[in-house]
Amino acid sequence: MAMHIRVKRNKTTYFVQCDPTHTILDIKQKLHTLIDQPVNDQRLILSATGEVLDDSKTLADQKVENDAVVALTFRKDDRDFEDVNIIQPDDFYNARDADGF
Amino acid sequence: MKKEETVKLISAEGFEFVISMEAAMVSQTIRNMLTSPGSFAEREHGEVTFPEISTTILEKICQYFYWSLQFAKGKETEFHIEPELTLELMMAANYLHT
Repeated sequence: MAMHIRVKRNKTTYFVQCDPTHTILDIKQKLHTLIDQPVNDQRLILSATGEVLDDSKTLADQKVENDAVVALTFRKDDRDFEDVNIIQPDDFYNARDADGF
Repeated sequence: MKKEETVKLISAEGFEFVISMEAAMVSQTIRNMLTSPGSFAEREHGEVTFPEISTTILEKICQYFYWSLQFAKGKETEFHIEPELTLELMMAANYLHT
């Protein structure tokens, strides 16, 4: 396993070890072992670009690099996925950034 | 990656980081919590709470664990630390024996 990505949803971050040759489906299967959500009810979005990641493509294909942040969303009913929701910690460091220092 | 092979680290603000057992073991302190005999609650639930470590620092620590595993395998990349994090990160590293 040559790299890891950080998969985030709400207040939880999953560090997933992977290789650039892994497909998004591989990643979803790994996530399925950690959370109950079936593969088809997961959607992964590259945080830096907002691009929805394609199951059949590899991480390298879609420029997902080591330590990248990927947002995880779940299907909320038959059609739609929930919006990306990553809660940022309201701690000293982020409070300071918000103040524009 | 099976669920039993992961550990959940919880920050002061209640944010959760799910990492592999292997990565968590980079910290001697966490290794002791997870492997020592007797029934540490940490070992039974695979969860460790750090009420004194803020979320930003705990995430950086998890990133360090993974970087460290790669480094040990000979992949010598740099580990970037923002200057403003250094003091608190050092205190946490001291506590975690990392």
